[in-house]
Amino acid sequence: MNRVNPKLRNFARHLIIHEAKILEPAGSHPPAAFPVVEKLRPHLAILMGRIGFRSLLARALALAGAEVPWLRNLHLKPDGMLPRVDELAAPVVPADRFEGQVVLVAQLLGLLVAFIGENLTFRLVAEALPKLPAGKKSFKL
Amino acid sequence: MKKKNALTKPRPAKVAAHRPARVTIRKLPTGVRGLDDILGGGIPEFSFNVIAAAPGCGKTTLAHQIVFANATVQKPALYFTVLGEPAIKMLRYQQQFNFFDESKLGHAIRFINLSDLVLEKDLDAVLAEIINQVTAVNPSIVVVDSFRTVMRKTLVSGRELETQTFIQGLTQFLTSWEATTFLVGEYGEDEMRGNPLFTIADGLFWLSQVPQRNSVVRKLQIMKLRGQESVPGLHTIRISADGLQAFSRTLGLGGKKPASARRRRRLSLGIPELDKMMGGGLIEGDSLLVAGPSGTGKSALGTQFIAEGLRRGEAAVMAIFEERPSGYIDRAECFGLDLRTPQTLGHLEILYLRPLDLSVDETMQEILSAITRVGAKRLVIDSLVGFEMALAPGFREDFRESLYRMIVALTGAGVTILSTVEVEDTFTALSFSHYAISFLTDDIIRLRYVEIDGQMRKVLVVIKMRGANHSKDIREYVITDKGVVVIGPRQTDYTGLTTGIPQRIGRVKEAAPEPKAKT
Repeated sequence: MNRVNPKLRNFARHLIIHEAKILEPAGSHPPAAFPVVEKLRPHLAILMGRIGFRSLLARALALAGAEVPWLRNLHLKPDGMLPRVDELAAPVVPADRFEGQVVLVAQLLGLLVAFIGENLTFRLVAEALPKLPAGKKSFKL
Repeated sequence: MKKKNALTKPRPAKVAAHRPARVTIRKLPTGVRGLDDILGGGIPEFSFNVIAAAPGCGKTTLAHQIVFANATVQKPALYFTVLGEPAIKMLRYQQQFNFFDESKLGHAIRFINLSDLVLEKDLDAVLAEIINQVTAVNPSIVVVDSFRTVMRKTLVSGRELETQTFIQGLTQFLTSWEATTFLVGEYGEDEMRGNPLFTIADGLFWLSQVPQRNSVVRKLQIMKLRGQESVPGLHTIRISADGLQAFSRTLGLGGKKPASARRRRRLSLGIPELDKMMGGGLIEGDSLLVAGPSGTGKSALGTQFIAEGLRRGEAAVMAIFEERPSGYIDRAECFGLDLRTPQTLGHLEILYLRPLDLSVDETMQEILSAITRVGAKRLVIDSLVGFEMALAPGFREDFRESLYRMIVALTGAGVTILSTVEVEDTFTALSFSHYAISFLTDDIIRLRYVEIDGQMRKVLVVIKMRGANHSKDIREYVITDKGVVVIGPRQTDYTGLTTGIPQRIGRVKEAAPEPKAKT
């Protein structure tokens, strides 16, 4: 079942663009391949535990992989982390990488909406991305 | 001169002893209807409590209700989840309850999952994390759910000392930090003995589910609560969309003082001749039982009692179990009595109670709530047999005890109660009730059929009026378009009326009050 409707996908796209704008210039570490996921991770891990978050992310990745082929080659590390950009097995063109991010984030949000509902999901997103403009923190699914 | 001895010697005036003021323990509301009364006002602030039960009894829901009722941004709550229900599922299910206020999440209520720590590290690390979070957030309420799973590792490995050290450290820290704490856990009653947790706890809330035939009764017991007087015993609880609701064994009436022994008013039943038989009417605050077989006019008598009260400005409640309210109102109209208008104006509530699955305490709480809503001075329960039958079988054994508590408390508070009970007429004796509830009542009126001159007529007698004289006459009555009408004293003498098959012993033969059919 694909619960990710166009609105949720747009919301995910919007979050990714927003996060890309405010990302600090890369330091010694290569950038995360999925910055929005990394922003959500600590907030969700507090709520669900690291193992719980890993399970949720694995499910989102499996769902997203059905739509975006290159995501099927991604594997979560034992600690639940996603590979960084430099750790991707094969180079992915920026447009595909962006699309992969959108679909994965949208699937993750879709799972959260299914479990805890829109309001709590948006509340969590707002907590994780506090710089998100007020009018962009939610939408009606 | 009189010699002063030890007895006559004046004593020095008593110096008022200076006692330092006792500490005032603030009580936190539980957010659970009925529970604050059971607890003696609420949960003592800064207390260390255990909510224990088998799975499915409502432990987590109770903890959530307390948290949502108290947490604010200024006084937040920390909710630690461990290996039991993950917070995400907890939120999924708990948001179905009406008390769930999502605006409190994040700032006023924070969920923190400790499962990684419990799985990967020891209790010292768990305690350290709790201390870190509590120090950072400064919560007024802390919940650990499920505490049992925190302890499981050490219990399995038999490291009792580690367990004790952890509990001791946690208690001392949270109490010093001025937090009211709830440890939620799955425990059986057999685990209570020798468990340091239950020794240290200030409050112990025990929830249970008791299957009784096809029903399951949820119960709550406050096994321990330091510093205040809680209501002992098992209290019924129910879980609905509003969360838990508790029904005190005392129905919240424990504190009600009986009315003083001043001379009480007489209340008219709306039947002048019957009032006369009762020495001027029913004594205010009495409980009257009207017993008789089907069709003798028990409900009619109850209706007249209520209508007369309404006519005199006394609000009323009718709790009916065997007939729908519309039937009641229609019959009253046939007697020229208007129940519809007072019902619309809020002076009368007719409760049609067919609870089937409700406990007796819940049903009685419905009645009490209605009495409070309308400020009722008169109550009719029609009938006690119907009341008992409407309860799930498992609750019936509590019926008489609860009914007794309710009647004593209500009459003590000045409400006058008329209850009906159906009894079968036998032709050898005049039973008042097979039901052994006569002890509940101050007054008893017995209605019965008698066979006279080829007619099945009706007679009534006032059997008992506690503390007052009454007529001992057996009087004939009819039910007309005016309701129950007691016929003036008859000249015909009969014997054996109580058997139902009397014999005329007098010479006078009077006409029947309702003429016989002629061929």
